[in-house]
Amino acid sequence: MIEYLQFILAPQVVNGLSLGMAVVLMALGLTIIFGLLDVINMSHGEFYAAGAFASVSLLAIGVPFWLMLLLVPLILLPIGFLMEVALIQRVYHHKDRHILTLLLTFGVATVLEDVYKLIWGPNPIRPEAPIGGAIEFLGLILPNYRLFLMAFGGLLIVGVMWLIYKTSFGAIVRAAAFDRDMSASLGISVKRVYALTFSFGVAIAGLSGALLAPIYSAFPTMGKDFILLAFTVVIVGGLGSIKGAVIAGLLLTQVQAISSLYIPPVWTEPLVFTVMVLVLMFKPAGLFGGLKNG
Amino acid sequence: MVSAEKRAIRIVEISLLVASILLFIFAEITGDTFYSRLATEALIFGGLALSVDLLLGLVGLLSLGQAFYFGFGAYLSAVMLKQVAPSFWLTMLVVLVTSALLGWVTSYIALRSRGVYFALITFGLAQVAAKVVYNTRALGASDGMIGVPILQIDFLFFRLDSSDPGQFFLLVFAVIALMYGVLRYITHTPMGAIWHGIRSNENRLAYVGFKSKGPKQVAFVIAAVIAAVSGALYPMLRGFVSPELLFFSVSGNAVVTAVLGGVGSLVGPLLGSVLLTFFKSVIGTWTVHHHIIIGTAFVIVVIFAPRGILGALSKRLASGSDRKGE
Amino acid sequence: MAENSILSARQVSKRFGGLQAVDRVSFEVEPKGVTSIIGPNGAGKSTVFNLISGTFLPDSGEVVFDGKDVTHQAPEQKLASGMARSFQITNLFFDLTVMDNLRIASQRLESTQQLLKPFSKSRLALQRTDELISEFELERAADQLAGALSHGDQRRLEIAVTLATRPRLLMLDEPSQGMSQADTQETAELIRRLSQNMAILLIEHDVDLVMDLSQHVVVMAQGQKLAEGTPQAVRANPEVQTAYFGEATA
Repeated sequence: MIEYLQFILAPQVVNGLSLGMAVVLMALGLTIIFGLLDVINMSHGEFYAAGAFASVSLLAIGVPFWLMLLLVPLILLPIGFLMEVALIQRVYHHKDRHILTLLLTFGVATVLEDVYKLIWGPNPIRPEAPIGGAIEFLGLILPNYRLFLMAFGGLLIVGVMWLIYKTSFGAIVRAAAFDRDMSASLGISVKRVYALTFSFGVAIAGLSGALLAPIYSAFPTMGKDFILLAFTVVIVGGLGSIKGAVIAGLLLTQVQAISSLYIPPVWTEPLVFTVMVLVLMFKPAGLFGGLKNG
Repeated sequence: MVSAEKRAIRIVEISLLVASILLFIFAEITGDTFYSRLATEALIFGGLALSVDLLLGLVGLLSLGQAFYFGFGAYLSAVMLKQVAPSFWLTMLVVLVTSALLGWVTSYIALRSRGVYFALITFGLAQVAAKVVYNTRALGASDGMIGVPILQIDFLFFRLDSSDPGQFFLLVFAVIALMYGVLRYITHTPMGAIWHGIRSNENRLAYVGFKSKGPKQVAFVIAAVIAAVSGALYPMLRGFVSPELLFFSVSGNAVVTAVLGGVGSLVGPLLGSVLLTFFKSVIGTWTVHHHIIIGTAFVIVVIFAPRGILGALSKRLASGSDRKGE
Repeated sequence: MAENSILSARQVSKRFGGLQAVDRVSFEVEPKGVTSIIGPNGAGKSTVFNLISGTFLPDSGEVVFDGKDVTHQAPEQKLASGMARSFQITNLFFDLTVMDNLRIASQRLESTQQLLKPFSKSRLALQRTDELISEFELERAADQLAGALSHGDQRRLEIAVTLATRPRLLMLDEPSQGMSQADTQETAELIRRLSQNMAILLIEHDVDLVMDLSQHVVVMAQGQKLAEGTPQAVRANPEVQTAYFGEATA
């Protein structure tokens, strides 16, 4: 029994946790954009991929890992800002806003995926993990990079939550999401807040991609592969709920990691999808409802 | 404005009809295979786009997973033709009935939600189905199935050969036109009006006496059948099926086609499919990155011309008649 | 308690989170004539309306229509039973034409079999549509999109849509909302005419209008029923006058 826990279950839990941190980061961006801005960002996965590819190239030209982690979100912020202002805001006032933003971001995703193929080729590229090796703890072999992921990811998540809940910027974002017109009449530039929030959301997705690249590689279709999981986390956790994204993200990645011990890995995605469907069917508001209901 | 739309639709319908007849004649005279087969493929995927437009344009539901039913129809057709009997009619009948059943069953999963949730569920369904097929050895796994036989299709007074590009093109045209006709008819019935009501203001519908669930289910099943029937024609054209037919790119393409052509017009998706297929074939000779071009065009259309080509055409017709002082 | 009332609300209650929006409200609606619900803002009038029309389900209490318990019926079932409601915030099919709006609204007059037959076969619905168009003088607007109409026309269309299935109880939620004085007068006349043959349940802010039109008035405040009776009786009620300070009651 102990051996089972030690050699089979525990490593999977660790894998799940490290994946979980990155998934949570991506889902955070998605839930913030989706829940607060009411924008359906089908291109979110592509920003995750952008982060991964950016990390690949930055590392390739010799940028140190830690600097790269800082640069990737900085690069993605203006891109996200531009996309929100130039594209999304144009359809924002339309009656069919939800479908149009969905289609729009979907179109962008199509373009981006092909751009990645064009620039980096169709094959996976795996950058080297900056921290190699593993430590031994209670008889468990824990890869150092995964430990780092868990720690750093956890810190980032706490940072995001602090930003949203404890700063005036976060308060403005939440206010603008809750009541756009009211916020505008209070002198808040709603457009700018929305653009900033969008770019923030995609930047942390990109950061997540950069963090995961040494484990999962960078390849053009990675965005599409990941987006279902990300949306599942957001839905299960509850639209717009930061807390929900964190808990659902950690939970679902554990489900995925542990279930892969019992069922062939190809079936873990259907399993996750089934969870999403069940949640949508029986508790559409997700575990934690959300800032905006309905 | 409404009559300008009708005129635009009529113009495109007639153009497609005339073009098809001309193509058939051209194929029979010159023995061409390339353009006929390309046009046939365009129509097959046009049928898929039609199913997307039924849901999106008429009812207001964006499905990102119609490839599920398309691929289902394709695989079922291949299996029927290879392992049961090389009979067109039997295969089509089986596909029709089973896809209706499949659509009905999956509607209970998908129609629980609206808007983006619906899109995600349909997306997820197709992803899962694609994964399942990709990993099922009995269906050929990642290689798919090849060796679908050529068919002799019996009508009362004549017989068509599926290997004759011109004849098969005409057959596919007839099938797609029939499905188009059925949809067109429904838009002139109260059911069609209710669908429009759902798209326009679903909440009010209950207060005029109609629960939206039933009509949505009807649309969902019909869309599944249309996609599956279109898919069933694919192996007859190409002789094989593969898991790629269920991939998201197929669903996504269908949506792009429908939007470019003109959501809600029904004929727009057909036009869009024709244009896109030929466009891809032309661009494809220069570069494999046509997605960038098409994707960008799509984004531009969504922002500046959300009603697509048909929308632009009817606007042109409307302003033209305004100038004539109607 | 009038035995011949067409609608009875009995001890109906609804709570939203910490707010008791409707607290054990009971009243009767007569089979012909206008019954109005009035009260200051936040009194719970709209919630009561929503509870009766099936938008929300009550936490407790009953709604009885024509002898049948309809408390838990969904809106489309209530319509089939003979109850139809309009909306305070215009809730039309905005990107359909006026004619299409009325046609959909009238479709329930036909059997389900007609759904997949061409429009021309839905004779009852078409007739009703024509009737409503001429009754509400919408001939010129018939082919316009509902969203393109003037506010007054939209409000009238809203009422027409609600009337389409010839309900026995017509529920109007602030029908004159945003209307001009002239339009409001016309609407009042319309309501008066209709009330000769059907029961009308009305929410209105215009107290003078209400007192003029109604045979029966229900006054609500803070989720509870304050008074119920003829307009004169209610107007004279000291509690009602207190609840309305600042409003003209004399």
